[in-house]
Amino acid sequence: MTERERFIKALKREPIEGHCPTFELVFFLTLEAIGRIHPSQQCFSQWKQMTAAEQKLHIDYMADTYIGTAEKYHHSAIFVHPNPDDFENTVRLLETIREKTGDKYYLTMHGDCTFGIPDGDGMMAFSERMYEDEEGLKAEAERNLANSVRYAEKMAKYPGLLDGFTLCADYCFNVNPFFSPSQFGEFIAPYLQRVIRAYHDLGFYSIKHTDGNIMPILDQMVQCGPDALHSLDPQGGVDLAEVKRLYGDKVALCGNVNCGLLQTGTEEEVIADARRALRDGMNGWGYIFCTSNCAYTGLPLERYELMNRVWWEEGVYPAH
Amino acid sequence: MSIYSEISENLQKGKAKVVRALVEQAVADGCPAAEILGEGLLSGMNIVGEKFKKNEVYVPEVLVAARAMNMGIDVLKPLLAEDGVQSAGRVCIGTVQGDLHDIGKNLVKMMMEGKGLEVIDLGVDVSPETFVQTAVEQDCDIICCSALLTTTMEVMAEVVKKAEEAGIRDRVKIMVGGAPVTDAFCQQIGADRYTSDAASAADAAVELCKEE
Repeated sequence: MTERERFIKALKREPIEGHCPTFELVFFLTLEAIGRIHPSQQCFSQWKQMTAAEQKLHIDYMADTYIGTAEKYHHSAIFVHPNPDDFENTVRLLETIREKTGDKYYLTMHGDCTFGIPDGDGMMAFSERMYEDEEGLKAEAERNLANSVRYAEKMAKYPGLLDGFTLCADYCFNVNPFFSPSQFGEFIAPYLQRVIRAYHDLGFYSIKHTDGNIMPILDQMVQCGPDALHSLDPQGGVDLAEVKRLYGDKVALCGNVNCGLLQTGTEEEVIADARRALRDGMNGWGYIFCTSNCAYTGLPLERYELMNRVWWEEGVYPAH
Repeated sequence: MSIYSEISENLQKGKAKVVRALVEQAVADGCPAAEILGEGLLSGMNIVGEKFKKNEVYVPEVLVAARAMNMGIDVLKPLLAEDGVQSAGRVCIGTVQGDLHDIGKNLVKMMMEGKGLEVIDLGVDVSPETFVQTAVEQDCDIICCSALLTTTMEVMAEVVKKAEEAGIRDRVKIMVGGAPVTDAFCQQIGADRYTSDAASAADAAVELCKEE
């Protein structure tokens, strides 16, 4: 079974043997980990001035960075951040990873069309629109949806390249969602459900990510039909065992290893938390082990490697 | 229903233009500006804050209520100044150096203003020196530090250290908050108060100002 097949089985909540799959939404620590600059830390302002040969070298470099990271940490999936991010170069990067690794890895990239939490400068104007320009906001949501579906349709013309989209609009703070449940039901859920359905119809899997306390809108998120939910943020009070109990028969789950502990906890706390996530998540299949956010810039690499080591040694399903 | 109740209820619904018109009407009727502020605007915002703490309302509802409050306050500002009405305290707030996230900081700012505090917004990526210098120059009662990142929250310890070096710790309280921040961290760095949400931060700030 390839890593990709293992990952897809987890998304489908099917039994697997061997290791529970693992990956990271972003693994920014590539320079420390494998001596290579992460693609999103590179600037290609002169991309169009480059010869085709130079462009190919850069794409090879980026592909090797993703592959090297996945190989070192036994990731089953690669989350690709195309850079440059136009369609043509995105396809070139995905093709290059496939050429080098075949179908070994599940490949995914951003693909969310829904509104997330606006930034501090924009949140007042956005909130006003929810009360005073509902139709305008919904029209914008429709346009965003159409753009995402159009992109997926183009990508679907390259079968076997991309496995799925990860929808990364954040909806929640630690305490609560930004949107009230009724606002979520009006301005987010209909579009989330439709884009996920469109992705499925085109043969793509979908993983829905958000930080924070998802519990007040969790039922609506699950009803939208994603294959998996990511990141099940313990800093937002999300209890993996409880989510598993409530929705483990409807959606796969990814994450929940506490990033706060990875940063500031003791080694013992990190080990205990990784074990807890494995115990609660692996129970009943449908779990992908990862941090409750990503391996972000500033995270001590040794802490990521510690949680990865716990997974390698203990995150194994018994033979059945 | 009194005009103050009408102001409060419309503020809670985020009806900014109605609130402004009602405040103008109250002023025209001869109501004292401080009373319109306290019994109308701040009373309404208090109710929103309490509901927010109990998860009965969500951020967008708080934001449109704050907008309504600010439109009312705009009408009252010159009158409050004429009457010599003092704010409940002065706070300088910012997201710490290296961190560009401002949602939580902006929410806290609005909630504090809703409690009648004067808030100086230093923005994001604020150095410890700027926090302390502003507190000294603007005679602030509280420095309020926000961080979203586990990698930047350590800057809060530096703010406490700089405030100690500047000799202002006996008169300036330091509040900390943000997703990765905990009460234990607050105590560890020697700050005065951690709160987990914006409404509680505003309550705590009022308490701290009263203590001084």
